Amino acid sequence: MRRIALGFLLFVTHFCDAQFGSPIAFSDSQEKTVLEASPEFFILDWKPNTSLHISETPLEIITDSVGAQKVNLFRDNTEAPILYSSNIITPVCADGDCKFMHITLYWTLLGDYAGFDRSVKEPLTKHDHDEFLFSDYWKLHDLLKDDNSILKRRAIDELVTKPKPSKIEGVDALSGATVKEVKESVVSGALYSCYVAWHLVHGKIKEQIKAHTVQQQDEAMLVQMLNNDHTNYQMYALENLDQNQYKVNFSRVSELFKSGIPLVRSFIIKNLASSFSQSPTTMQPFWDALPYIDINTRSLLLQHIDFASDATVTHISTQLSVLTKNQLLKYLEHLASKKVISTEVLKNLEHFSASNKEKNAYLVTEFLEDNS
Amino acid sequence: MKNLLTVLILFIASLNAVAQDILLEAESFDNPGGWVVDPQFVEQMGSPYLNAHGMGKPVKNASTSVEFKKSGTYHIWVRTMNWVPGEWEAPGRFQLKVGETVLDTVLGTRSGWGWQYAGEAKINKKQATHIELQDLTGFNGRCDAIYFSTKKDAPPSSTKKLAAWRQEITAQPNAPEEVKTYDLVVVGGGLAGCAAAIAGAEQGLKVALIHDRPVLGGNASEEIRVHTLGIYGNFERILKKIDTEHYPNGSADAKLDQEKRDKNVKSYDNIDLFLNWRAYDALSEENSVKYVDARQTFTGERKRFTAPYFVDSTGDGWIGFWAGAEFSYGRESVDTYGEHWEEHGELWSPKEADNAVMGSSVLWGSKDTDSPQSFPEVPWAMPVSKDYSEVNGEWQWEFSRNDLSQIDDAEEIRDHMLRAIYGSFSSAKKDEVNENRKLEWVSYLVGKRESRRLVGDHIFTFNNAKEGTEFPDGVVIETRAVDVHYQTVLEDENNPDFISEALFYRAPQYYIPYRSLYSKNIKNLFMAGRNFSCSHAGLGGPRVMLTTGQMGAAVGYAASLCKKYEVMPREIYTGYLEEYLNLIEDQKYEKIPTSKK
Ligand SMILES: Cc1cc2nc3c(=O)[nH]c(=O)nc-3n(C[C@H](O)[C@H](O)[C@H](O)COP(=O)(O)OP(=O)(O)OC[C@H]3O[C@@H](n4cnc5c(N)ncnc54)[C@H](O)[C@@H]3O)c2cc1C
Repeated sequence: MRRIALGFLLFVTHFCDAQFGSPIAFSDSQEKTVLEASPEFFILDWKPNTSLHISETPLEIITDSVGAQKVNLFRDNTEAPILYSSNIITPVCADGDCKFMHITLYWTLLGDYAGFDRSVKEPLTKHDHDEFLFSDYWKLHDLLKDDNSILKRRAIDELVTKPKPSKIEGVDALSGATVKEVKESVVSGALYSCYVAWHLVHGKIKEQIKAHTVQQQDEAMLVQMLNNDHTNYQMYALENLDQNQYKVNFSRVSELFKSGIPLVRSFIIKNLASSFSQSPTTMQPFWDALPYIDINTRSLLLQHIDFASDATVTHISTQLSVLTKNQLLKYLEHLASKKVISTEVLKNLEHFSASNKEKNAYLVTEFLEDNS
Repeated sequence: MKNLLTVLILFIASLNAVAQDILLEAESFDNPGGWVVDPQFVEQMGSPYLNAHGMGKPVKNASTSVEFKKSGTYHIWVRTMNWVPGEWEAPGRFQLKVGETVLDTVLGTRSGWGWQYAGEAKINKKQATHIELQDLTGFNGRCDAIYFSTKKDAPPSSTKKLAAWRQEITAQPNAPEEVKTYDLVVVGGGLAGCAAAIAGAEQGLKVALIHDRPVLGGNASEEIRVHTLGIYGNFERILKKIDTEHYPNGSADAKLDQEKRDKNVKSYDNIDLFLNWRAYDALSEENSVKYVDARQTFTGERKRFTAPYFVDSTGDGWIGFWAGAEFSYGRESVDTYGEHWEEHGELWSPKEADNAVMGSSVLWGSKDTDSPQSFPEVPWAMPVSKDYSEVNGEWQWEFSRNDLSQIDDAEEIRDHMLRAIYGSFSSAKKDEVNENRKLEWVSYLVGKRESRRLVGDHIFTFNNAKEGTEFPDGVVIETRAVDVHYQTVLEDENNPDFISEALFYRAPQYYIPYRSLYSKNIKNLFMAGRNFSCSHAGLGGPRVMLTTGQMGAAVGYAASLCKKYEVMPREIYTGYLEEYLNLIEDQKYEKIPTSKK
């Protein structure tokens, strides 16, 4: 990370050898000390009637030719930290031609990209000096959302080279992924602005913001994060809540098991692995989620099949379609380990095995043959 | 070929006085036509098979002729599999022609590998019977074997029972009869195996290189077409004989480097190259590998290879696995080696260990032509590709899932990728800009990144790369960034499940110690390639092929010293390290190897 931020500074210095014209103008949102509406491009939920007020932090971003620019923290009326923000003015240079870019950037409490406000007076422009269209801002927003963008690990000159034509197939060979990926992700004609903006958002400030938040972290903040829709908040809360707090917030945790992204679900189930044997009934909501969760999480869930209630095992026999081949084999292996298989389960197995629409019907057929 | 087959038939006939049985292995057909021999999944489904890989155009018939000992009516079964059962016609359908008759039964329609009854045919022993496989779809119909019997008893389908049945019916002795002895046996001819063989041979070792493909290079071969990345380290001279140019992955330029590589390896008199030979077993006694058994993938001929030292460069760690070497698979918990990376948390290194690994790929491409090109509907592919639409595939076309083993489920993984490819291409073809496009190349070989990792005296971790840990035996050097892949579907279920993303960590120059290149518990076993001793995150940097090539070369030189002093690999580190390092230094400048013609 550090390396990339450093690289960015070097890059800016290098490209800013050219002379600047007029002095710096300030972005409109510069004076905003209260936020009463969501930033124009924003990834978090904005609840109606939210009013955030600004507070200072020791954090700053240094851009070339402009110097230090403050990073502020917006808090809600209970003084809980909500959002970091900075009004940025930074030079963008391409082929010796430099312009200033004005933009207000927002970060989450964990230093992830949260959104931006454009400057009405000083809109972003492209290489040919055309102003950004609204759709271009959206594209920039999409780019900034991608914390693992290809812009991260490439120097700017690496992003504009074309792949060598193939010796055997001529120019019609497979195109280099890099150039294509870059083209798809940046605003056409504004590679340099996009590059600079991305590295500002995802530069070393990210870590500093997170560290600043961690200093003020308390249980209330974690619970808020757990209840937020933003995945990184959920994940951070899940990683930092202790066992007891898991219990207290169990209904939200089990809800996230159903509604969260696969990564969140897998984390939850791995973290609660021992609960399947220790308090099987509490874990019932997890079994109920079986048909709705992704394949990876379902595999992790099925690892606990030996602790599932008979009712659950029977219920799964009506859900065989959602199981992958190996998941089905795991389930059948569990059945085989039982002394008796209930008639209801057998009936469901036979029904499944007779279906000509089921990819894995043959496995159940073989199982029934072997266990008859 | 014919002779072998005849022997087989006589054997079977004499075993069974009542029924007349003939087992015909499809991979041994005299003329495979447009079908390809696919030996990738032998350990799982039992045998190499013929695969009608026509990218949607039916392939030319495969044919052979068989001499029956007795005339009569024979029942016929074909061992096959419908590779995508569901509410559509099976994608890989074919028919069987016996003599002049095409049997009505459409084959390739049963779920899971097993015997499908094809019908019966009258056979006249007076003339050889002509047998043909007629592909109907060009979409990977599969035929493993054909069984003729005068009795209507289907052979067993389960893989375990089948192996015993096959052995019995072909009256195969347990051990291969021919035994070959070498100084060094290298199994797996990827970049790692090639480099090991060359280094060993240059030092005068008599080397066997056993490789299950017709061409060398593994993932770098023209069959898979991945370009080699990384640096040459100490072994530039050797690696330049086998590396590739930096063309895009999947480029047909791989063919040029293929010629170079094959020619260079073949130029060593003391490398016996066994192409199309696949090792299927290894035995260890007192923690030493005694032999490796291998089978010719077309003819089924077998040989046993003995040597004082073996190199496992199969990528999957097969030799180690069979010999009982310690190995690991999947991701260690973050605390096992302290491989935490704040920025990527669980995606990088999980709190609890799991069996997620980097996935496998099938590379592919299409090209524009000057006339309209049709492409069939592929309803069986759409549940995988969904609304994805593409005309080429690069490295991101990758598949891994925690219920699938990259080894045991490799066929399912390959097939999933084929569905992703055909479905995405079919969607792209609906766009009129692609009217003239046609599939040019789709690999049928699954290109792997990660599977078993054999455990050595040192386990190379992410931290060794991150910190650039210096080792007294740091024989492999690398500067390439560490990257670990994950499936993007983990972050958003709406993403296709066959596309990955890479997380890059820019490390300083780092070193891999020699101690990561031999087995901890199998004394005479070296390993080189992606199955060397490392953690999941540790593999992120050095899995690329110049690095794995460096490992191979390092191991080849070590083997030569092992032979010189009659010691085991570990003792090179404990007793001969200086000489070993000097040898590595000296070889850099060796212009005309003495062992070369
Ligand atoms: C799509 C893709 C893109 C990649 N991108 C890059 C890249 O750009 N550059 C790069 O350098 N690396 C790249 N990699 C990684 C690299 O190709 C692999 O890590 C590679 O496998 C390392 O080489 P190897 O010699 O260890 O194994 P392999 O190349 O897999 O060679 C092992 C060989 O052993 C053979 N074999 C296996 N079992 C047996 C047996 N029982 N008997 C006989 N032979 C056997 C196999 O057929 C195989 O050919 C990529 C991988 C993939 C899949």
